[in-house]
Amino acid sequence: MQLDEPLTLQLRDHARQLLESGQVACVVGYEASPRGGARPVFIYDPTDADRLIWSAACVHNLVTYLHDKKKPLRRNEQPPHVAVVVKPCDSRAINILLAEQQIERERVFVIGVACEGLQDETGERLARCSRCVDRVPVVFDVLLGEPPESLSAADEDEYSDLARIEEMPPADRLAFWLHEFDRCIRCYACRQVCPGCYCTTCMFERDDGLWVDIGIELPQKHVFHLGRALHLAGRCVDCEECERVCPMGLPLSLLNRSLTREVDSLYSHRAGRDETLNPLLFELGEEGSPI
Amino acid sequence: MKFVTLGDLRIWLNRLTLENEYTLVAPCDVDGHVLYRPIASGDEVLLDYQRPELSPKDCLLPATEVMLQIEKRGDEVVQKELLSDRTQVLFGVRPCDAHGFAVMDALFLGQDPPDLYYRHHRERTVLVGLACPQMWEACFCTSLGGAPDDPTHLDLLLREVDGGYAVEVVTERGSALLDGLTVQEWEGELPPPVTRAETVPILSPQEWRSLFEEERIWKRHGERCLSCRLCAYVCPTCRCFDVTDRVVEERAGVTRIERIRVWDACTSTNYRRAAGGHNPRPTKPGRLRNRFYCKFCYYPEDFGPVGCVGCGRCIVSCPVDVDIGEVLRDVAEATLPPACGGTFR
Repeated sequence: MQLDEPLTLQLRDHARQLLESGQVACVVGYEASPRGGARPVFIYDPTDADRLIWSAACVHNLVTYLHDKKKPLRRNEQPPHVAVVVKPCDSRAINILLAEQQIERERVFVIGVACEGLQDETGERLARCSRCVDRVPVVFDVLLGEPPESLSAADEDEYSDLARIEEMPPADRLAFWLHEFDRCIRCYACRQVCPGCYCTTCMFERDDGLWVDIGIELPQKHVFHLGRALHLAGRCVDCEECERVCPMGLPLSLLNRSLTREVDSLYSHRAGRDETLNPLLFELGEEGSPI
Repeated sequence: MKFVTLGDLRIWLNRLTLENEYTLVAPCDVDGHVLYRPIASGDEVLLDYQRPELSPKDCLLPATEVMLQIEKRGDEVVQKELLSDRTQVLFGVRPCDAHGFAVMDALFLGQDPPDLYYRHHRERTVLVGLACPQMWEACFCTSLGGAPDDPTHLDLLLREVDGGYAVEVVTERGSALLDGLTVQEWEGELPPPVTRAETVPILSPQEWRSLFEEERIWKRHGERCLSCRLCAYVCPTCRCFDVTDRVVEERAGVTRIERIRVWDACTSTNYRRAAGGHNPRPTKPGRLRNRFYCKFCYYPEDFGPVGCVGCGRCIVSCPVDVDIGEVLRDVAEATLPPACGGTFR
């Protein structure tokens, strides 16, 4: 994958300064992967800043790693100050974690990147990027790259692929999803990569789970995926990392985006656009609630 | 050496699916993924494929296995085991995956007492291998003593040759399965598989022990780990499981309970959590270190074989590119720069 050299150099300079000045203890960014493309990297030493890269292969949402930095390494210490590289989609997850009081704004230095959309190994624009119009992160301390002067329209309607599912009669739709869930191996990659999935013990993984046992069978997979989607309703920032990491190719973003649209139409709320709590959790049942 | 034409091979596979005695499990196309599945017709069997995305270990260590059914009626308690007596023919097994079974055998069969469930399946399984014509992306079987056409752990090994397949009979069990397959004697030359010269260094358990405190390696590679279970679930030798009882029916006077055992993975956050809530392996680098020490130090020390066969699945499936080959090279060199944020404890 071709490096974006000017941006890569800017990124390294910023990271080096942040580490040299002691402003942060660690920069979470991307490095070149030995398999081609990019992978997450944690830079602690300014002399290591040259490992950082920026390219159209920087797919990962690094905000998920901020959960590992919430606690100090040792008792009686403070949690570390961390810098994190974010794309517009990733940056929305920062707002979610701020609103849900998972991270402290002053401990996170946000290196925003103006994003032109990502590509797969063949140079094809990612489906998620074809639906996205955001070019500038919603939150940042420094912005790298040139934001475009005017926003171009998305290549694809955000929900066009949902229509195919919604046209199906309910029985066919259920059959479609059960067929997809059947391939799931319950590896939890979708949950682990998700910045919004941070429960200490997932309710779907409890030893004494009331609702679902540990079996890797269709009923448990069905409950897990629908349950996870509901837990993210109004919180999912549509980074679509869950779908990317799924080894069995489950079209998980269809579930998430269906709920995104639902919450948007009921509450005019899009997760992470600003630092507000999910109204679906807090406005339910009050007078004036759309439900 | 024997030889079978493609047409006769299909006929034989079809016959196996029709015989009541056998369940035929083979690689097939599942929505664009190559996976081992019980198949209904020999025509579904893929013959031209690379590395199925999951190993066939599910056939011997099912992802979910009902070990026992317990039914309670008043004071009466009845326990039932539900193991099937059918023989399963695993067709299209890659030599590395057969090697994986041999690795699991060392624990499940080699210990006293053996694992009764695993043994039950193992005794009723015939392994028909299909040699890889080459090493695929990320494969390193040759570093673990294997080869793309290694017959060692199989009952039969097929190699694609002009016009059909050369059949190598490895065991009696394999020979018996050939009844009904039209074979010819064959004197042709076997094409050697395409292998890569570079290897991955595999240290001895003693060397691993001496490197245990090298926390920088694990911090460097483990910090980006997601703590998912993907690498363990695609692995042909990872064999950890969890056991639980679940109530499947509860009505007046009758309770039915199943005891199940289910795949588990040491990379997951709560794998090591003990009663009372303490988790002695609370960090990602610590868990990644355990994964590697299990494979290359503890398992060979305790049971003999190294717990890796070089199939490369964990490399190609890891969402954040934790690369077992890269880690093994770093461990062998132990020359990482000290700049990875120090220790993880």
